[in-house]
Amino acid sequence: MNLENRKMPLLAATAIAVVVFLQVPVLVVMLAAFSRTAYLTIPPKGLTLHWFDVVLRDPEYLSAAWTSVWLAGASTAAALVLGLVGAYAIHRRMVPGAAALTSLFMAPLILPSVVLGVALLQYYTITGLRGSSFGLWIAHVVITAPYVVRASLSSLAAVDESLEDAARVLGADGLTSFRLVTLPLVKPGLVAGGLFAFITSLDNVPVSVFLLSASQTTLPVKIFTSVEQGVDPSVAAVSTLLIVATGVALLLAERWTGFHKHV
Amino acid sequence: MPALTLDRLEKHYPGPTAHTAAKSVSLSVHDGEFISLLGPSGCGKTTVLRMVAGLIEPTGGRILVDGRDITALPTNKRNIGLVFQSYALFPHMSVFENVAFGLRRQGVQGHELKRRVDQALADVRLSALGDRMPRQLSGGQQQRVAVARSIAPRPSILLFDEPLSNLDASLRDEMQIELKRLQREVGITTLFVTHDQGEAMSMSDRVCVLAHGVVQQFDTPEAIYHRPATGFVASFIGRPNRLAGRVARTPSGGAGVQLDDGPVLAASGADGLAPGSPVDVVIRQEDICFGETPSSHAHALSGRVAMRSFVGARVQYLLSFDGIELLAEAATNGPHAGLSVDAPARVSIDPRHVYVTPAAPAGVRAAP
Amino acid sequence: MTARKANGALLASPLLLLLLLAFVAPVLLMVPLSLHPYEPGTGISSAWTLSNYTSIVTDEYYREVVVRTLVLGFGVTLICLLMGYPLACYIATAGPKMRLALTMLVIFPMLLNLVVRSFGWIALLANRGLVNNLLIDMGLIERPIKMMFNLFGLLVGMSHIFLPFMVLMLVPAIQAISKDVQAAAYTLAASRLRVFWSVTLPMSAPGILSGSILVFVLTISALVTPRMLGGPTYKVMATLIYDDFLQTLDWPAGAAMSFTLTLLTLAVIGLSSRVLKRWGGHA
Repeated sequence: MNLENRKMPLLAATAIAVVVFLQVPVLVVMLAAFSRTAYLTIPPKGLTLHWFDVVLRDPEYLSAAWTSVWLAGASTAAALVLGLVGAYAIHRRMVPGAAALTSLFMAPLILPSVVLGVALLQYYTITGLRGSSFGLWIAHVVITAPYVVRASLSSLAAVDESLEDAARVLGADGLTSFRLVTLPLVKPGLVAGGLFAFITSLDNVPVSVFLLSASQTTLPVKIFTSVEQGVDPSVAAVSTLLIVATGVALLLAERWTGFHKHV
Repeated sequence: MPALTLDRLEKHYPGPTAHTAAKSVSLSVHDGEFISLLGPSGCGKTTVLRMVAGLIEPTGGRILVDGRDITALPTNKRNIGLVFQSYALFPHMSVFENVAFGLRRQGVQGHELKRRVDQALADVRLSALGDRMPRQLSGGQQQRVAVARSIAPRPSILLFDEPLSNLDASLRDEMQIELKRLQREVGITTLFVTHDQGEAMSMSDRVCVLAHGVVQQFDTPEAIYHRPATGFVASFIGRPNRLAGRVARTPSGGAGVQLDDGPVLAASGADGLAPGSPVDVVIRQEDICFGETPSSHAHALSGRVAMRSFVGARVQYLLSFDGIELLAEAATNGPHAGLSVDAPARVSIDPRHVYVTPAAPAGVRAAP
Repeated sequence: MTARKANGALLASPLLLLLLLAFVAPVLLMVPLSLHPYEPGTGISSAWTLSNYTSIVTDEYYREVVVRTLVLGFGVTLICLLMGYPLACYIATAGPKMRLALTMLVIFPMLLNLVVRSFGWIALLANRGLVNNLLIDMGLIERPIKMMFNLFGLLVGMSHIFLPFMVLMLVPAIQAISKDVQAAAYTLAASRLRVFWSVTLPMSAPGILSGSILVFVLTISALVTPRMLGGPTYKVMATLIYDDFLQTLDWPAGAAMSFTLTLLTLAVIGLSSRVLKRWGGHA
């Protein structure tokens, strides 16, 4: 008897309805981006690309986008190095208290982001880093590293331990056997971890919003604060651009690494 | 100068689950010899092997290769080959690259590299498969690549960690012969870990039997079979019947054992043991001879057939005598293969084949 | 082995150091901050006081905010369970292609910027948003229904945001329920509903708990969505902290509220992992 084939149509209908519900706000945003009026109707009262034009010409939006991207890139890069290396030390039991260390490495995931944000605000005020790019970068490494550590630990666990032993017996020292044997095998998991890290940084508001300076802002924070001042379809246009970028990135990542298995 | 010497090698794990995996293991292996480390799982044979490879650090003792103490030398500098139970082929590299790995670490490149890799693949008879990936190979082929990879860098010692236990029976027999032939051709001193006594005996020049981390006996296969040094070896090698009893005199006054709930048997191994002391007795199935034998030292038993199993090349009987039961066997094509259940059975057992050891104190058991 | 330990220290210490300096230290430094009183106009004095903490319980406004946050947490978790469980069931039993497609459709909104998603809900729920315009155009209502800046808006918006987390936690839990166990139940002449009620549901309980804890914790900690859909007046704990630090500059109160939020989060996680451990034998 194959239970799968006798699914209840009600279950299927509910499932599909929920999936549709999940996509609705996304579709609405895209609709608003193309709509001529500043308020939304279905069907829209006219289509235009005007808001995209506004956004792409606005130097503030472009600078915010640039800041978000370099910040995400720089923090992901640092997180990848520190996270992988730290995870490796835990995995190969090269340090005592592996369990405690792992908990510490993952702790930023548990602490509410807003608490970390305000704690760093006070900390940076005391240490003079408030509003600095360096401080912002460090904060983002803290929030992205746990994703890399988690992905690294699970990828390393999946690699046959005897492979590195075999490399050593064949004459490779620790670094060489890591580079030639372990690293290529953990790459897919690392890519998944890195992607999560990148997106976490790119999206982040609760930490960033407390640490930015007057002259510098990230894209999500800019959208966040401009919404407070009133809704305007250019926000929808920026959002649509982000949606498209995310969709493309997701498809590419899936194509490259089949990363949905690592989620 | 022995090629490999283990001098009182010891591995002790401290802490809440403290145990000694290897206790004062000493061996001397000659150049080109094929030695097996044989024993049940947990006996320490893999621990000893991994200490020789440098993957486990000994807590005591030394390892000497050609007279040089390598105990403190890191694994990658020992020039030792190791074939893993799981083969441990690098899944992301081709067969060629796998075999070339050790050579590259030695600095071998270009034409010389290709020549050496091809040679190693030819030695294991896998010449055409250089471009394949490990996942495209069968188990037997992967095993051969693992061997080729280990011998290509021309190590001074070759180690095998139960390499044949993942293969099915017919392939295993074939590979045993292959590996033996290869070892002969290449002439590397070899240490082979296995739990299969048939494998150890058929392939080795000498066998080292281990139990609970202690060397039980280190000798040629014939010596181990015919002259087991301890009760463990007697019950681990061959197909045993295990019984308990006490030292007693036979009716004619010779050395013997009084089996618990059973008859008195002549046993030359009981000679010299205190009368009445408890002993473990091992009688191999293949040592129980059907029919009368002319030898005056033999002791005969009369009973009946309780069960009969046809195993293929031999027929196995469960025989019931006067309070005890013994497993015995007869060649399928021989005269005693046709006994049916409840038929009378007359057997004799040479007293030299009744292996007697003082009873192990509680907690230290013989081989399961 | 000392070379190994030395290497281990070398590899683990950069991240350890980073976390100690930029995570542990800042959080610890907030403790003394939360114990100083704040005087509007003069700033933070160097006296010590517990009033920042006690007022969370005694002050009616603070109490209301905390209760609201918790109600939101429970509400969102419940809604996510009710919506997410059927979807997770469907995905868990679907064929590989369908499963991939549905998983991608669940992951996709999750990867989308949180601000964007919240904005989408504003576009839907605002007085001049899509839903109201649609209802007015269809003649069903005359004046817009207030769906933002209140509990309803937050419940809907946040359920949407966190639903993917619930689904992704439930799917493996449901998949792990041995098909053999379910089949065995059927052979014992149980009806479909009975099998679901007495086999599938209890066995997916660890997954339900894990997903619920995750959604609950995320909901009570959330800043962006409550701020965007709740506005500056309808506050939850996180938005209150935000205002304390950036608007009213009452940092000590904000610090005290931060620790309260953190303790709540840790308590919930700690309790649930105890329960999960006890259930571990039954799964």
